[in-house]
Amino acid sequence: MKGQGSIPILRVGSTLLATVHVELYDTVAEAFQQDVLLAIERTGAVGLIVDISGLETVDSYVARVLADTGRMARLMGADTVLCGMRPEVAATLIRMGYAMEGVKTALNVDDGLARLGASTGPLGKGRPA
Amino acid sequence: MNRETRTPLKLDDAELRSRRAYFEINDEDLERLASLRAFGQTHLDDIIESFYRFILEHHESRVFFADDTSVQRVKRLQKEYFLGLFSGVLDVRYVENRLRVGATHERIGMPLRIYLGAYALYLRLLLVKLGEEYEPSLAGMHFRSVQKLVYFDMSLAVDTYIASYVETLGRHQAAIRELSTPCIRVYDRVLLLPLVGTIDTQRAQQIMETVLVRVADEQARVVIVDIAGVPVVDTKVADHLLKTTAALRLIGAESILTGISPHVARTIVQLGVDISAMYTKSRLADGIELALSIVGKRITQVAP
Repeated sequence: MKGQGSIPILRVGSTLLATVHVELYDTVAEAFQQDVLLAIERTGAVGLIVDISGLETVDSYVARVLADTGRMARLMGADTVLCGMRPEVAATLIRMGYAMEGVKTALNVDDGLARLGASTGPLGKGRPA
Repeated sequence: MNRETRTPLKLDDAELRSRRAYFEINDEDLERLASLRAFGQTHLDDIIESFYRFILEHHESRVFFADDTSVQRVKRLQKEYFLGLFSGVLDVRYVENRLRVGATHERIGMPLRIYLGAYALYLRLLLVKLGEEYEPSLAGMHFRSVQKLVYFDMSLAVDTYIASYVETLGRHQAAIRELSTPCIRVYDRVLLLPLVGTIDTQRAQQIMETVLVRVADEQARVVIVDIAGVPVVDTKVADHLLKTTAALRLIGAESILTGISPHVARTIVQLGVDISAMYTKSRLADGIELALSIVGKRITQVAP
């Protein structure tokens, strides 16, 4: 399932899997968002996994694009999980004060799928208030 | 004195030149020293014998020369060293040789004062011999050249001692750093981070980075942070803990804070710190139970 952008979006059952492996700068980010939303509309997917284990750096712009995409997908009925953020990326984002609140996360795609399957677990709606 | 002894120091040509200039060792000095080679040869045995008589007379230096064979061996090397003074060459190889000598003495644990005392003795012995051999003005000039080179050698020896101490210090610091962030795997995908001692910003930073890397390496789902050993939890420490939690969440792991004493609980609330973003438990056992439930396990009672 290939859109206009360079980021492939695969369908696995009722879930979409997008693997981000290139820098998400302006046009790529926009195309990525568009592709994801069109794919959700077309497939009626109820889950979206965004794998960013290939990204060595994530600046505040990219972090915002990722968070926004998740929020948009949520509006269209697809729960979104961000997977595989690298430790150094996480440390940098926290240092910049960008904790990406409200975005669901997972260690890897496996865990991401598990979170989507059982969103009532400790990581899901059952999180402490 | 083993030839293979590694010296922790390296001196390049530029460094050698500036050091030579500082000790004011010019070509004239080196020529003079070369011209003294015959003098050195003549008095070699005498000076070395006197040198070791002194060293073996004194208890603090004697302990480094266990038996007769080792004394014979170091005497031979000492002769090499002594004749090296009259080689008339001061190049990188000379320096390397001298550094090796210093490193060897440091390695056998000889205190610097004993080493320097031996250099002073060397100079005294040489002064006497030069006085006997040459008329006073010439002996003085010869002695000045010898003195320059011996002090140059001493500076190298001191540097090897310092370099070795600095290296040891660095190793210890690394060990302390490592010890201050132990990360234990208590179950599949569950890590325990028992924090002990005061947490300052630098340590907090390092804890965060260590934990993140460990979590990614082991693909851990939960990290239990036990703060029972942290004496004071103030706003800053709480902030560090919250940041670590937030970073762990970003890479997809949960954190549980345990070991919260009544005193710490009171402080946190009185300071108005909101740590509701973290799971908190008073006892480590409860934290482990919660961690296990997150990875889908449960501790159950079995009939004994």
